[in-house]
Amino acid sequence: MPGFFSSLFGWFSALFFSKAIEIAVVGLQASGKTSFVHVISSGQWSEEVVPTVAYNYRKVRKGNVTINIWDIAGQPKFRSTWERYCNGVDAIVFVVDSSDREKFNAARFELHQLLSQSSLVGVPLLVLGNKNDLEEHAPIKELIPALQLDKISDRPVSCYSCSMKSQHNLDIVLQWLSGRSH
Amino acid sequence: MASFALSFQSKKEDEAGLSSYYNNKTTIIQEARVFNESPISPRKCRALLTRIVYLLYVGETFGTQEATTLFFGTTKLFQHKDSALRQAVYLAIKELATTAEDVIMVTSSIMKDMQPNSEVIYRPNAIRALCRIIDPSMAQGVERFFKAAIVDRNPSISSAALVSSYHLFPFAKDVVKRWVNEVQEAVSAKSSGNFFGTVSGGGGYLGFGGSTTASAQQSVPSSSYATQYHALGLLYLIRQQDRMAVTKMIQQLGGGKSGAGTTLKNPMALCMLIRYAAKVMEEDPKLFKRQMLDLLEGWLRHKSDMVNFEAARAICEMKYVNAQQLLLQLFLSSPKPVLKFAATRTLASLALSHPASVAACNVDLESLIADQNRSVATYAITTLLKTGNEASVDRLIKQITGFMTEISDEFKVIIVDAVRSLCLKFPSKHASMLTFLSGVLRDEGGYDFKRAVVEAMFDMIKFIQDCKEQALAHLCEFIEDCEFTKLSVRILHLLGMEGPKSPQPTKYIRFIYNRVVLENATVRAAAVTSLAKFGINSSDSGLQKSINVLLNRCLDDVDDEVQKPLADAYVREESVFSLSALESKLVAYVQDPSASSQRLDLSSVPKISRVQAAQEAARPSTLDTIGAPSTAVSNSPPPPTAAETQSAYATQLTEVPEFATYGSVLNSSASPLRLTENEMEYQVTCVKHIFNEHVVFQYNVSNTLPDVVLEGVSVIMQVNEGADALVEDFIIPIPSLLSANSPGTVYVSFTRANPTEFAVASFSCSLKFVSKEVDPSTGEPEDEGYEDDYALEDVELSAGGDYIIPSYVTFGSEWDRMRTGPSVVETFNLQTMDSIKAACDSIIEVLKMEALGGTEIPQSTTVHVLQLSGLVIGGGGKVLVRCRMTFSQGTGVVLELGVRAEKQEVCDLVISAVAG
Repeated sequence: MPGFFSSLFGWFSALFFSKAIEIAVVGLQASGKTSFVHVISSGQWSEEVVPTVAYNYRKVRKGNVTINIWDIAGQPKFRSTWERYCNGVDAIVFVVDSSDREKFNAARFELHQLLSQSSLVGVPLLVLGNKNDLEEHAPIKELIPALQLDKISDRPVSCYSCSMKSQHNLDIVLQWLSGRSH
Repeated sequence: MASFALSFQSKKEDEAGLSSYYNNKTTIIQEARVFNESPISPRKCRALLTRIVYLLYVGETFGTQEATTLFFGTTKLFQHKDSALRQAVYLAIKELATTAEDVIMVTSSIMKDMQPNSEVIYRPNAIRALCRIIDPSMAQGVERFFKAAIVDRNPSISSAALVSSYHLFPFAKDVVKRWVNEVQEAVSAKSSGNFFGTVSGGGGYLGFGGSTTASAQQSVPSSSYATQYHALGLLYLIRQQDRMAVTKMIQQLGGGKSGAGTTLKNPMALCMLIRYAAKVMEEDPKLFKRQMLDLLEGWLRHKSDMVNFEAARAICEMKYVNAQQLLLQLFLSSPKPVLKFAATRTLASLALSHPASVAACNVDLESLIADQNRSVATYAITTLLKTGNEASVDRLIKQITGFMTEISDEFKVIIVDAVRSLCLKFPSKHASMLTFLSGVLRDEGGYDFKRAVVEAMFDMIKFIQDCKEQALAHLCEFIEDCEFTKLSVRILHLLGMEGPKSPQPTKYIRFIYNRVVLENATVRAAAVTSLAKFGINSSDSGLQKSINVLLNRCLDDVDDEVQKPLADAYVREESVFSLSALESKLVAYVQDPSASSQRLDLSSVPKISRVQAAQEAARPSTLDTIGAPSTAVSNSPPPPTAAETQSAYATQLTEVPEFATYGSVLNSSASPLRLTENEMEYQVTCVKHIFNEHVVFQYNVSNTLPDVVLEGVSVIMQVNEGADALVEDFIIPIPSLLSANSPGTVYVSFTRANPTEFAVASFSCSLKFVSKEVDPSTGEPEDEGYEDDYALEDVELSAGGDYIIPSYVTFGSEWDRMRTGPSVVETFNLQTMDSIKAACDSIIEVLKMEALGGTEIPQSTTVHVLQLSGLVIGGGGKVLVRCRMTFSQGTGVVLELGVRAEKQEVCDLVISAVAG
């Protein structure tokens, strides 16, 4: 119930104030970054998403919030460029495939590697444990220690479990994002 | 803070300084933040991109890190749809792509822009940027795009695709080659621009159909047909390996005999085609000459000047001159300076080979001399100089002199070259031309120009006898005030060659000596050499004397370079000194302070023929083979010449303190004498060094056993015969010899009892040492060893090779000259020799003298004369040997040995050597 009211409030404030946010979506390959962008821009989920080469840029309007999204490819050869696109954004969205526990270590390493860049100090971080529609997915409780999110102290960090396929929890994600807009 | 300091500084600077601050690399990199701003300001970003591109164009270089940062900044601008900004982004990406890293990142953005259905103005820009971004492996992936773009109706897209393919070709040959059909289509395509274009050809109607859609696609109408030019370039690139295909292409596009049927509308494309045609003709003149010539002549009547001219030039270069100079003649009177320039330049080059056919244009050319464009006038005059007749030369030269100061060095060189060939053509006009040359020599000018003038004068001196005096005088004057060392040296050399032959050599000497006083070391050296030539080559004894005085003054010169030519008095000889031997001699001479009071003794330096000198120069330095065991020497394919080894030995010997008082080495053996069998565990070779009062035997001993150390290695020499002539002084043993530090050197020194006598002796030698085993684990030798003797082969001290060394002379004249000196003639009957060749070989082997004039190879099997020449060490002078031989089966070789030398002892020595 309180969630409903606050979202109503958000909708109202959105009517009067136009806002913008720029985000960079990063994460290992096949974690659902491009799906995330598709879902929040068009509300469509598709089984067939080709692996991103380099990056996609998308501009999305949600209410009064304009979201500029940099969707960066997650394959190892592109990971060195993450920093360049995260530089100057209002928030970093890190997408993890929560059903693939074997990749948690690699994801943790890449995430902390990225956050250690001096140019990105203080940039808010949103971690999405994607694919929670699958049976074997890891819950938030398991994800936070696995990615050592509790050890990040220099920025606001949030972690949600969600699913692009079922669009579960997407509303709070958007709410979080609009909270960062200006 | 830093930016404050910068702006403060910029206030003090002038306008240019301010703009350099504004367009400063550091500033720009700082300002690149605007790329990250949100929302993006297209205006600001475009201005910054312009500055980046400007900086790159003026030659500023960005580091990889800087370029990458900027590059990624620009990629963020893809979010904005502003087309002008996007075009600027593409320009910047194209420039940054070469230095930045990870440029592959923008591929997908670019690909999005070049989709066939995207109706954006920056599609060509995207295509052009793409070819800089992708690597060859991706060429296959973009194949579809390119094929479509090449045949695109929009000429700018088509051109962009063609040019990009052209750049891709070197990296992805196979892929680009597959696009040949599309390219072919682009060449012959009736461009959509037809409808809009001013030129309406036969294809205009067809183009009409397409033009409605084309205009709907906001295509830029083009009347230039530049696409054809680009397509032709690519087509040729693809086909250039296949000459038949190129020929076919030319014929196809050339459009038949009159050239009217051609589909090519772009004059540049036609010019290109003409060049390809000319190239084909050049490569294979027989096959295509007729067809190509027809095509070229058709193009002579094309409506574009450019094409006409290109065709005319191609024909001129093919040297088939007939009608086309009429056309060039037409150009000459054209009001356009470009055409006039092009025509005169072509005529000038044609005049070199076909002066007669160009002469027809002379009237027009003469009117061009007064042209206000100096480049045209210059070419006109040079052409006239080449085609002109004797009568017009004076007038032309006068005209040239008029504007010589107004033209650039490059053209001056052209004119001087023309004058140079002219004066060889009309020698009778040399006076006016020489005046002209000397006049321009005094003018301001760079090195190339002055060199051209000086060379022209050299030619006149060489070929025109009458003007020699005067030209030399001009050159003398020139070197008085010449800033180019190279030219001064050349002129001084020439003065040295020509001066002494002139009737009054004295007048040059003042000029030359002035150089000695005033110039830098190189010029001084040249001047001294030149003076020496005067001294030697002049017949006037008074002159020689004064030269001597001058040269003595030159001796005070501080520079080595000047001292050297003083020492070389070998200006006119047929033979030259062995350079390495001469050098070591000179070094010794310069280093020894007491020697400078005496004259340098050049007679002791061995002479070699010029042929040998040339061989020697071609040989690599072999200094490092000295002192190595014989195995090493035999391994190195070009054995060092005797002279080289000798000078190397001399250096080696000066390092031994015991021999310091011995003076300089008179002679060392040419090659080490091997005293052991090849496969023995100890290898010994011997080299004999003869000093004025001593003989030193150098034994190179090598130990081939890795686990044995030899200590106290010495060589014991027992004199077998000639014992009284030599007295043993001392032995310098090797303290310790391992296989690792082999070879070591043992020296045995003898004193020559009577230095004037040539002591001949024979020695039996043995190697003496203490042998110790080496512990392989520690590398330390054992305490106990055992003494050992090791017999070596005998060593001889003989005439050939030890006292007489080969030297080169001109045998005939020298033999006559020495007629009055001591001489001996003996006859020998060599029954054991079975041919003249064998006799020659063994005589040369015994005497070790130089065989002259190829006489070491007998031409006849029955009668032969062998001529030998040598130099006796220690100031013994020359020795010549003439061996007259006859051969008959049964009696063997009968030898009449004639020896002429400067001393009786030498004659005896030779005779005894042969007799023994």
